Amino acid sequence: MNTRRFRELVIGSIVVGGLAIGSVELSAHHSFAAFDMSKEQTITGVVSRFDWTNPHTFIWVDVTNEKGVVETWAIEGMSPNYLGRRGWSKNSVKPGDKITVSIRPLKEGKTGGMFIRAQIGDRVLMPTGAPTDER
Amino acid sequence: MRHSARLLSATLLFAVVGPPEGGHYVRALHYVRTLHAQQNFVPKKPTDADWAAVAKLPDFTGVWEATFGGGGRGGRGRAGGAPAFPAGPQLTPAYIEKRRANQAKGAEDSQAANCLPPGMPGIMGQPYPMEFLLTPGLVTIVIEAYSQVRHIYTDGRPLPGDPDPKFFGTSIGRWENGTLVAETVGFSPATDLVANTPHSDKMKIVERFTLADPDTMTIETTVTDPEALTAPYTTTRTLRRHRAWTIAEYICEENNRNSVDQNGKAGINIKK
Repeated sequence: MNTRRFRELVIGSIVVGGLAIGSVELSAHHSFAAFDMSKEQTITGVVSRFDWTNPHTFIWVDVTNEKGVVETWAIEGMSPNYLGRRGWSKNSVKPGDKITVSIRPLKEGKTGGMFIRAQIGDRVLMPTGAPTDER
Repeated sequence: MRHSARLLSATLLFAVVGPPEGGHYVRALHYVRTLHAQQNFVPKKPTDADWAAVAKLPDFTGVWEATFGGGGRGGRGRAGGAPAFPAGPQLTPAYIEKRRANQAKGAEDSQAANCLPPGMPGIMGQPYPMEFLLTPGLVTIVIEAYSQVRHIYTDGRPLPGDPDPKFFGTSIGRWENGTLVAETVGFSPATDLVANTPHSDKMKIVERFTLADPDTMTIETTVTDPEALTAPYTTTRTLRRHRAWTIAEYICEENNRNSVDQNGKAGINIKK
């Protein structure tokens, strides 16, 4: 194991160990007041748009509810600046992708939430991690 | 030129109507001297020697990001067993009351949700990188969060005696054995000392920027405020250099769907 790889591993462990601090990062631009932080909800649908924009990314997902009606869900994620240094790109999510997303849902039953993690095919998307050196 | 005119008119006024009495005279003289010191400070054209001197300064070049996610809550890191979140500032009774009153309002969010950037010291604790530019007589910090810039003048100019209130204040700096020591005064009342806690117009911030090793910078920040604090409030942040990174734009209004209203109620717009 070379020094750099070791360093990345060490930094990675620190970041994983500091996940509680990760919540501080997300609070930089706004609070969690709009979200129900006590709940985790998983939705599955088809991506209609991916906003690779500041101050937050948004994944727009068409979800068919139990009544067979298609609802539009808005999933807020970290910024392109932050995610772009952690392995994401504007092409990480594409219209037409079948996606399963875990979220902290919006309060008052609104169809949206804050991104926790997602799966597209066999790809897992996480919002945090050690920053890469290449960017 | 405008400054010269004001200085001249103040001098002429004294000559025609005579100097104001006692304390007024001292204040008027102080005003004229302050004008002279800050507004008329014209940096010299940098010489080859000035540029060569920059090359001998510690290498702050490149893009740096706080470790442990930035924080902005005074994380001291874990070195030496120091707590990750040290005790907050020691407030005077009057400012404990102000903080309590702010907390009692129960605002769900701050104006940052409406894209208003935080001021000092909060802007230095964002989970985004910053870039240091060293030129003769000046250190420029390009802050990615909210696309902001700070200027720390190291050309020998004095701190302003009666500064206009600014989000980032007005900064001067000097180099002490490889450490950049920046002093900043004159902060907007729109900025907080820490969350929910205002500062007085006498707040002063001293930052010490040091290379702990070639790619690690520490920033020790000490806030003093004779009205708000009973003791200096010091926090230390550690940053790591990322040579390959560039500062990205951060236009908060590009697609901001978060908000907070006048009553402190947080909102989010999910209209596609």
